[in-house]
Amino acid sequence: MAEPAYTVASDSETTGEEKSSSTFPEIAIGVDIGTSQCSVAVWNGSQVELLKNTRNQKMMKSYVTFKDDIPSGGISSLLSHDHEMLSGSTIFNMKRLIGRVDTDPVVHASKNLPFLVQTLDIGVRPFIAALVNNVWRSTTPEEVLAIFLVELRAMAEAQLKRPIRNVVLTIPVSFSRFQLTRIERACAMAGLRVLRLMPEPTAIALLYGQQQQQTSHENMGSGSEKIALIFNMGAGYADVAVTATAGGVSQIKALAGNTIGGEDLLQNMMRYLLPESESLFESHGVKEIESMALLRVATQDAIRKLSSETSVQVDVDLGNGLKICKVVGRNEFEQVNRKVFEKCESLIIQCLQDAKVEVEDVNDVIIVGGCSFIPKVKNIVSSIFKGKQLYEGMNPLEAAVRGAAVEGAVASGISDPFGNLDLLTIQATPLAIGIQADGKSFVPVIPRNTTIPARKDLVFTTIHDNQREALIIVYEGEGDKVEENHLLGYFKIMGIPAAPKGVPEINVCMDIDAGNVLRVLAGVVMPGSRQPANRVMEVRMPTVDDGHGWCAEALHRAYGSTLDMVTVQKKA
Amino acid sequence: MSKKKLCTPLSTFMRTSLTSPSDRFTKISSSQIKFSTFASPSPPPLALYNPTFHKLGQYFLGDLGFCGKSICSKAAEKLELRCWNCHSVPESLPFLFCESCRSIQPVDKSVNYFDIFGSEKKYDIEDKNLEGKYKEWQKKLHPDLVHSKSKMERDFAAEQSSRVIDAYRTLKKPLLRAIYLLKLEGVEVDEEQTVSDPELLAEIMEIREAVEEADGSEALKRILSQMQDKLKHLSDSFDNAFQSRSFEEAKTTIQRMTYYERVIEEVVKKL
Ligand SMILES: [Zn+2]
Repeated sequence: MAEPAYTVASDSETTGEEKSSSTFPEIAIGVDIGTSQCSVAVWNGSQVELLKNTRNQKMMKSYVTFKDDIPSGGISSLLSHDHEMLSGSTIFNMKRLIGRVDTDPVVHASKNLPFLVQTLDIGVRPFIAALVNNVWRSTTPEEVLAIFLVELRAMAEAQLKRPIRNVVLTIPVSFSRFQLTRIERACAMAGLRVLRLMPEPTAIALLYGQQQQQTSHENMGSGSEKIALIFNMGAGYADVAVTATAGGVSQIKALAGNTIGGEDLLQNMMRYLLPESESLFESHGVKEIESMALLRVATQDAIRKLSSETSVQVDVDLGNGLKICKVVGRNEFEQVNRKVFEKCESLIIQCLQDAKVEVEDVNDVIIVGGCSFIPKVKNIVSSIFKGKQLYEGMNPLEAAVRGAAVEGAVASGISDPFGNLDLLTIQATPLAIGIQADGKSFVPVIPRNTTIPARKDLVFTTIHDNQREALIIVYEGEGDKVEENHLLGYFKIMGIPAAPKGVPEINVCMDIDAGNVLRVLAGVVMPGSRQPANRVMEVRMPTVDDGHGWCAEALHRAYGSTLDMVTVQKKA
Repeated sequence: MSKKKLCTPLSTFMRTSLTSPSDRFTKISSSQIKFSTFASPSPPPLALYNPTFHKLGQYFLGDLGFCGKSICSKAAEKLELRCWNCHSVPESLPFLFCESCRSIQPVDKSVNYFDIFGSEKKYDIEDKNLEGKYKEWQKKLHPDLVHSKSKMERDFAAEQSSRVIDAYRTLKKPLLRAIYLLKLEGVEVDEEQTVSDPELLAEIMEIREAVEEADGSEALKRILSQMQDKLKHLSDSFDNAFQSRSFEEAKTTIQRMTYYERVIEEVVKKL
């Protein structure tokens, strides 16, 4: 792949730094790269401080503009108006695109953005390009993110007057492990070391844990356990967590997340205002991009206004004789986005169920993220929690990055004389990890919401007599069928002793260590034997290189069901 | 045929950097704790205690553990339990963490889950603040908190912390707690083994049908509360059977509980 060369710090460099860190630890910065906005924060010795760019902004737009040969990102760039961001030369929404294949509906939904997203629909990475001097110049989400991170790093270094190496990044709950490797790669390209990737609501849970700890200190109380539900909805993703915190220790009881956010609300609304918009803009000509930009900006404004007003006048001339002049009511907006809001509701309910927590047991309900200002979102949460007062004391736009900064300090081994960093978040797996078995079924080995570190075993067996090999295809996700999940990798077990079908025991063990590294082990044991019949295989996942959806397809074509497995029957 | 016993869990073969350094310590300390905390006359093979570590351990240490043997042979030696780092004598048991130098101790398999939670080895522990104790331990043992320490101690943290997670998970759920209690008594329960009680099977079939036909959450909730009553009842019977050391009866009760648990799972899924 034609990615620019990048340097990863050598091992010796790392150890050198670790040595010095024991005497004077480097505090990792917290970074929240949102689909549309980004922020950076750091523990300043007594509290969290948000860093500002040269234009005194704490919230910076997440984008990179390609111009001539020098790309520039939203940290430093001086785009005066949204329209400039929508000229085709700027790539944004990279958080929605990173680590996805071109059959992914989220990628397809990105095709009506001003820059070029092209799909071949065969399960490879989509083609993404920015318009530079009237030429579509290709790039990748990782590259865009890396360029952005380089700028961000420079900004932080200038502010803090020290080199920055370590970061804690927040990520959406629904990100697959493959997507995490893409984020790590972008960080490495930018010379950053990822200390921790934190699901967004768990960063907020940590911040909540800290606040609870502080209040219980003030009240000299013992700090009884408090349960909070956190709903975080930004431009790209909606995430939920249930956390139980006591004495500074937060146990993540359940996580739920989905790729729905402000971007979907916006696109649905654009389609509502101009039903034929997608086909109109598909060609990505200069005029089309202009019209698209105008429509996008007008719709964005309308949605923003609908948070405080019950109706809004949309009046925009898109050129080419296309004019929109329409009064849009808040109820129309809610109707158009009914499905998105229903999904929000079901995510919250699912998370409560997974956590085995009743609505009445929840002490605090926290809603944050850019979409938390939307009245409908508040109404949904409010009706689930029967009108309960929402938690105050968290800035909806800063909560995640503040949590990440606290984690940055905790993970860097910084201590605070007042005990403000005497904190711990015990994480859980956001998605189930399992293998293909019983036909094309996804059989979870580690279920979702399992406390990390985790290790689980499951036993499978052959489906043919004298089957000597078996394919272990590892997926991550929630779907019952493998194709609904993310492929993480695959390998073959060989040397299964000749035996009737159903006799050899194929053991699959999955281990997630404290550093969130996943290892899959597989081996064969014959009944009655205590020794494995062959060498056990240990594979660190993910192994897939580029989220190649077609790998699974190709495996199926090559082997059919000859190397399949079934689960060892449980009683009915 | 009991499938479970045949299936050797793979974690058995798993490479772990831990096993070698920690063994040394575990062997020394196990005998001491054994005698200080166990009153039971004939402790069961210790390697069976913890699913995770038994799997890991059995391969490297030989099956059924060194403890059964080494305890007898070392009984007279009276080895003293000390911190590997500062050599202090523990202030309190179980000794997972040294209060003097704040270093994490290697896993000692003779410490059982009940010891970890400072609880008596009994079924009815509902009054115990498991979550609080669990968090207290994690705050001392969690690997996230020991970045600056040596590789060896980080490994201790990983192992201790995940053992506390296993312990918490096991003791929190009545059914798992029951199975674990029997394991401590040397009685293996095979959950997958079918019960040959036609009455129970017929009842379960009936309930399953009712669940399938149930229209609306009201009907499901009714079934759910019936199941929970049944489970509560069985739970009491288990407690009685266990206390009077009728382990066979306790075992069948567990197998019955499994059936109801599964129905409950199904109902909850549908709700
Ligand atoms: Zn010590």
